[in-house]
Parts: sequence; C-alpha cells; structure tokens
Amino acid sequence: MSEIAFVNSTELGATAGDWLALLKPRVMSLVVFTGAIGLAIAPVHINPVLAVTAILCIATGAGASGAINMWYDRDIDALMARTAARPIPGGRIEPNAALAFGVVLAICSVLLMAVATNLVAAALLVASIAYYVFVYTIWLKRLTPQNIVIGGAAGAFPAVIGWAAAAGNITALPLLLFAIVFFWTPPHFWSLALFACKDYERAGVPMLPVAKGARYTRVSVMVYALILLPVSLSPYWLGLTGRFYAAAALLLGLIFVYYTWAVLADKQDETGRSLTGDKPARAAFKFSILYLFLLFGACAVDRLI
Amino acid sequence: MRVEQENWSPEMVAEFKRRQRGRNRALFAVLAGFCVLIYAVAVVKLHEYGQMW
Repeated sequence: MSEIAFVNSTELGATAGDWLALLKPRVMSLVVFTGAIGLAIAPVHINPVLAVTAILCIATGAGASGAINMWYDRDIDALMARTAARPIPGGRIEPNAALAFGVVLAICSVLLMAVATNLVAAALLVASIAYYVFVYTIWLKRLTPQNIVIGGAAGAFPAVIGWAAAAGNITALPLLLFAIVFFWTPPHFWSLALFACKDYERAGVPMLPVAKGARYTRVSVMVYALILLPVSLSPYWLGLTGRFYAAAALLLGLIFVYYTWAVLADKQDETGRSLTGDKPARAAFKFSILYLFLLFGACAVDRLI
Repeated sequence: MRVEQENWSPEMVAEFKRRQRGRNRALFAVLAGFCVLIYAVAVVKLHEYGQMW
C-alpha cells in the first residue's frame, strides 16, 4: 500500500473527490447559505423546484469560479502549505482540464439560472463569476494588499442573486446584505492571513500582513469589525427588519468586536507578530464564519415572525 | 488520458480501477440529476404559464 501512497497523487489519476475539491466546497456552503437566505427573505413566492434550482445554480457558479481560481493560482498554490495538496498542484488533475471544468460549469449554471428564474438573477450570476475570476483572482490578488477588500464583493453577490431569483429585482434589503458581507470579508480574511502569513509571504501574495505588517493588520481587522456593527444594524434602522434581527445583529456584532479586540491585544513582538501562535486570530476567523451564519439566519427568522 | 501501465503492481491496477469506477459513477449521478432537474424545471415552467394542464 505504501507504493500506492507514493504514486497516489500523480499516476493513478483523480478521484471524484478531487473534482469536487476544485469547487471549494467549504466556500460553497457559505455561498449556498447566503443565497438561500436571500431567496427566502424575498417578498415573492417562488416554486420550490425553481428555488432549489436557483440555489444549485448559485452553488455551481461559485464552484466554477473556484475551479478557475485554482487553475490560475496553481503556481502560488504549490508554494503554500495550506493549498499545496490541492488537485492541480498535487498533479492529480491537469490544469487545462480544471479550466474547462470551471468554464463549462459556469456557462451551465448561468444558462440554467436564466431558464429557471429570470435574466436579472442570471446577469448577477455572470457578474459574480466575472468579478471573482477577473477582478479578484487575475487583477487584484497579486497586485494590492486591498485585494480582498475590493475582491470581497464577489462573495457578497449570492444573497442578492438569491433575492433576484425570487423577486426579479433588487431593492434596499439585498443591497444591505451585500454590504454586510462586503464589510465582513476583510476581518474574516485578514484573521486568516495573520496566521497564514508565512504562506502568503513565500508565494509573494501581497496580503495585508505581508505588505503592511501584522500590527497594521490587527488594527484593520478591528476597524472593519467596528464598521460592520452599524452596517449590520442598518436594515433595522431603515425599517426593513424587526427587533429580533436588531438584537441578534447587536449581540453578534459586539461579540465579533470583542474577538477582533483580542486579535489587537494579542501578545506580540515589536513587529506585531503573535507570541501565542495567533490563537486570537484563529478564534476570530472561526467566529467570523459562525457570525455570518447566525446573522443571516436571524434575518430569515425575523422575516417569519 | 491515463491508462494502466505495464509496470504497475496488482494493487496499483486495483486502485486505478477503483478511482475510474468512482469517477464514472459520480459523472453518471451528475448527468442523471441534471436531466431530472431540467425535466422538473420544464414541468414547473409549463405549469406556471398554463401550457401543460
């Protein structure tokens, strides 16, 4: 069996799981959730078959973007411990096959979205895929430490697409959900970048801790968490959600600020590098995921009560 | 396209075939699911526009 393990990644070809891994299933789960919430809170009834199809299209579109991202980033993925085992740098899937896989899935997801729901949702899906591939992956990621601030908008699309799939238009609430994910992305991603800093440094990706240092990143993480707090409360202030959502947004926002304060107050050397193995940054990263799930869940519950 | 190599051990050939079988089954499931989905969407759309029942 050790012989098999040796040739595991190159000679014997890919498993079905490798192809699934190209779609970044973890990212996809968050995308599916926010897209489903956008769809659920829209004030228009949609047939369950079409709703499931719309969510599937959002997930497939996001997965396709992930596959194209892995194709483009295969050189730097091979340099980072976190991504070196991915199917392309691992040699289990040919780069061109991954690109074709991503492009075909992207086209299928957009066409099916247009057929099953409406052109607004399909156009938004095109925009989200194009934004992630061209604006984030190809243009910004290797160019500026603000890559995930601007590029993070790609991850904010699904809630709007979900809403548009049901309603056929875009109003203030989905745009505010877009803004919430937009301002949530920097503290979420920079918390990760703090403890994956060496990886990004080795790959030459100008993530904020690499370009501006860990101390600057810690301050930025907390600043964005503070901005996120009023942004997350804005649907209530504008009368678009009720008190249940407001209470959840306030509580979750304060907890998130506390986590980011812990990142700022972490024991560190003179350059801002953590002396605790970046425990607070890891905790903030984990909580940021829970935060988004709970906040969007609260929004959906609020519309029901 | 990957093919079996002459210098592979029986274990490696078995592993190669296991993976190939796994990919084939996954592809079948995806294509079958896609057909069912298209059919279901078509039925719903026709029903919505009153052209079926």
